[in-house]
Amino acid sequence: MDYEVIMPQFSDTMERGKIVKWLKKEGDYVEKGETIAEIEAEKAVMDLQSFRKGLLKKVLVKEGEEVPVKTPIALIELTEERPPKAEKGELKPQVKPKKEEKVEVKPVERISLPPGMASPYAKVIASQYGFDIEELQKEGRLPSPAHERDMKNFLTERYFTKKALEVLKDYEIDLQKVTDYFKGEKVNEDMLLEYIEEFDIPKRVPISSVQKSLISNLTKSIQNPSFRIYEELDLSLIPWDKDITLTHWLVKIVGDAMLYFERLRAEVKEDHYLITPNSNVGVATAVGDELYAPVIKKVNKKELAQIAKEVRELKERAEGGRLTLEDLKGGSLTISNMGMYGISSFDALIPYGQVCIVSVGALDEQRKAKFTFTFDHRAVNGTHGALFVKYLKEKVLDKRYIRSLRRTG
Amino acid sequence: MSQSLAEKFYFYMKLGRELELRAKEEYMKGNIGGFLHLDIGQEAVSVGAVLGFGKGDLFCPYREHVLALARGMDPKLIMAELFGKVTGVSKGKGGSMHLYEPKLDFYGGNAIVGAHLSHAVGAAYARKLMGEKAGVLAIFGDGATNGGSFFEAINLAVVWKVPVLFLCENNFYAIGTRIDRVSAFRDTYMKAKDYMPYLQVDGMDVFQVYEAVQEAKKHIENYGSPFYIEALTYRYEGHSMADKGDYRSPKEIETYKKKDPIENLKAKAIKMGWLTENWIRTTDEAIERVIEEAVQFAISSSEPDLDELYKDIYCGVCSDVVS
Amino acid sequence: MLYRDAINLALDHAMESDGRVVILGEDVGFYGGNYKVTDGLYSKYSERRVIDTPIAENSIVGTAIGMAMCGLRPVAEIMTANFSMLAMDQIVNNMAKLRYMSGGKIALPLVVRMPQGVGKQLAAQHSQSLEHMFASIPGLYVFCSSDSTSAYYTTLYAIKLDDPVILLEHVLLYPMDFEFREVKNFNPFNARVLREGEDVTIISYLKMTQDVLKACEWLERDGISCEVIDLLSLRPIDFEAIYSSVRKTKRLVLVYEAPKSLGFGAEVSARVSEELFYFLDAPPLRVAGEEVPIPYNRKLELASIPTPEKIYKQIREWGERHGL
Repeated sequence: MDYEVIMPQFSDTMERGKIVKWLKKEGDYVEKGETIAEIEAEKAVMDLQSFRKGLLKKVLVKEGEEVPVKTPIALIELTEERPPKAEKGELKPQVKPKKEEKVEVKPVERISLPPGMASPYAKVIASQYGFDIEELQKEGRLPSPAHERDMKNFLTERYFTKKALEVLKDYEIDLQKVTDYFKGEKVNEDMLLEYIEEFDIPKRVPISSVQKSLISNLTKSIQNPSFRIYEELDLSLIPWDKDITLTHWLVKIVGDAMLYFERLRAEVKEDHYLITPNSNVGVATAVGDELYAPVIKKVNKKELAQIAKEVRELKERAEGGRLTLEDLKGGSLTISNMGMYGISSFDALIPYGQVCIVSVGALDEQRKAKFTFTFDHRAVNGTHGALFVKYLKEKVLDKRYIRSLRRTG
Repeated sequence: MSQSLAEKFYFYMKLGRELELRAKEEYMKGNIGGFLHLDIGQEAVSVGAVLGFGKGDLFCPYREHVLALARGMDPKLIMAELFGKVTGVSKGKGGSMHLYEPKLDFYGGNAIVGAHLSHAVGAAYARKLMGEKAGVLAIFGDGATNGGSFFEAINLAVVWKVPVLFLCENNFYAIGTRIDRVSAFRDTYMKAKDYMPYLQVDGMDVFQVYEAVQEAKKHIENYGSPFYIEALTYRYEGHSMADKGDYRSPKEIETYKKKDPIENLKAKAIKMGWLTENWIRTTDEAIERVIEEAVQFAISSSEPDLDELYKDIYCGVCSDVVS
Repeated sequence: MLYRDAINLALDHAMESDGRVVILGEDVGFYGGNYKVTDGLYSKYSERRVIDTPIAENSIVGTAIGMAMCGLRPVAEIMTANFSMLAMDQIVNNMAKLRYMSGGKIALPLVVRMPQGVGKQLAAQHSQSLEHMFASIPGLYVFCSSDSTSAYYTTLYAIKLDDPVILLEHVLLYPMDFEFREVKNFNPFNARVLREGEDVTIISYLKMTQDVLKACEWLERDGISCEVIDLLSLRPIDFEAIYSSVRKTKRLVLVYEAPKSLGFGAEVSARVSEELFYFLDAPPLRVAGEEVPIPYNRKLELASIPTPEKIYKQIREWGERHGL
């Protein structure tokens, strides 16, 4: 086996070194720690000692030559034997060319600002509305330097009403085209809306932070393996009313059932499940355009009236934007009831971090409803799911059980 | 002196030397960068002090590979740190001069001469306040004894009456400047002798260092006050890899190499029957394997991810909500 | 509550609730502190926890680092920031870097408190504002406070934080009396908006915040609506709060007592220019100290730093030039 002697780096700043003199020649036997060459670097001459013992097989860099550090300068054959004669080798430096790293510059969208003496913000306004500041300043219609205030005054005086300017904020519109379209007439709100309709210009609606986190969670959730069970449940025995709605009943009944199926109370972690002792049930709630699923904690320990009260309170809080993280945490199963919209059956995505969502459709004449149970397959397998659904199916028809809930409710 | 102790001395001193020789080789190959300060020649002080001191906090200067090994740090983690790999003891962010392991009560690895002396005094104060008895060992070179932080530290250690063992490895050179050219005294204990009890020992003899440190340890623990030891020693290599060390005459270096601490120990231990040639050979082979493993571990370990750049600056933990 | 009493109270509460908290520094114990900030703590918590040190700043911070490494939560007092220059090795090379160099193995729950700024005729070696030096070092947190409420909470937060903190106080704030308000979930990394406004964002910290608030009353009278942001942390700076205010007002003024060049003003105005160039309706304005050592003579001393009058005047003149 050969050992490569390389141009050593004597210090952190050393980049190249010169062989001043080879103290050993090819064929010589070299001891560990023996000086084999003198090397000049950074104006100092240093001894190069061998780290291995063996035969100096080949000298790769000649005396007087300078090479970058780490370049192989000689080969030592690792052997204990000391042969009387050595073979001759060719002197040939092997300088590996360094790869040049390419620095990539990302292209970005450039803002093109009009000429003229104005603050950056004033110029941005001018570019949005397509005006030439310099020209207007020459005509004496804008002061120099121009600021935000001057631009706004100019715009409202000349081209747009204040209300129209407000509307403009939500659209990406080339204003030059608008003013051209109306032939320089001052544009009010109605005219602008007419223009927007005519040219079918989309309105820019920002995505709320709640919606953003929903998007991200749904995207994560859909990557988990899941399966569905479709079943019709007979709800004819359930006596709901205005105060205690079907949703409230279902939260209670499903929560009670979960107590017998621990995988329905699980959260899937990397190498373990976290199983809560109580049933915590989320209730899908639409507020405006947004969707929340606040969690009713310890459903198994609560009476119907209490559950109804909490669901209402959480809904009110959601409407007021006052839900806390605590309200949204901790559930393992969520109920989504769209029966009131007359939907007969549908399917939903499991909220991220939970293991099941129960989608409830509308009742038919026999007071039966189509349920879709979507399970996270990592926690719940087919048998678990089937047994859970079967249990529920029996429970909603269990007169004594329903009566007991009603009494306490 | 027992056989097991001689075996320990030999193992750690030889392990230290071989690790550093290999580090030197890897440095020249470009696998290790920056400053690399070698302890070669001074192993008796490092090993004798750490083993003699036993339990207690350790504050070291930047020439600390052998001190860390003697404290029980895994050679793999040291080598990986020298290679700047994420598996290194300091995640590749410290390098040769900054090995830390609080689990071993090993607090670096400080590259500012004398800066760690006040850390040691503070540590001893903390331990004392919390009712712990084990003292603190602060190791430094002769160069540190000319600086203000040295005098501040020994003054405070006496005023606060804290158990710190100040151990000076006097190798006669502060980088390239001989001690008598910059220090009022050639013997550094002269600067501490009016503050605290002291001993001067031959730092090329591990037994002497070990015994002196043991005695000093008893003193600081019994009296709860500081102690000073000066160990006279010699480094064969330059101050760091960039230093050729040619400000010293070849004759001077040869003189000390004749007193080599490892050869010294070997000769004495064989004569006394504590070590056998056979044991030494087996141990040397074992050490060679350990070093090879360490280097292979370092080579095969990965570079830190780029986001490590921003980690470990702050922990950002507020132990309590402030309201 | 006096500013100095608020800090004293924070120290007292921290020491009471956590036996690991110790105080050390020159004259902090028996003497009661040169600005009386630690008054009464020595007798309450004994000399073991309120430790008098020699005049050796480097070792005050150095030993505090050792204490923090080995289980205590020390609060070191440097008599004034001017003297902290003697401790710069420990602060910059050790305190700021041990955690990083050890790959996160060493935690330093350590606070170094010091007052700074121009007092009354203390001359050049006792009047400096040196926050830029500390705030330029990654690895340190630099907190400061401008009234009793912020002084109490930043001090308490700094002590409870597991990282090294430089805590800056101002010599002239010590005897000032402020109303104390309770704060829930205090966080020094969030800047405080002390006054909301539409036309201009003014950012300051320490005593200058008080001067800015005074100047703002005059500016409001002239019809200029000011938003005043008070920073409680200079490393890191709450840039988000600054950006969101400047996005609204389009104008930025920075007020600080240290010499104008190469400091806080340069940093923040550069950042705002980088991030919000197209939102700016005027170049940022720095109202700051003159480029001189602080003189002894009172008239010259006042001429060397911003005052409420100067802040008002410079903002008005700048506003005239830039369409405000």
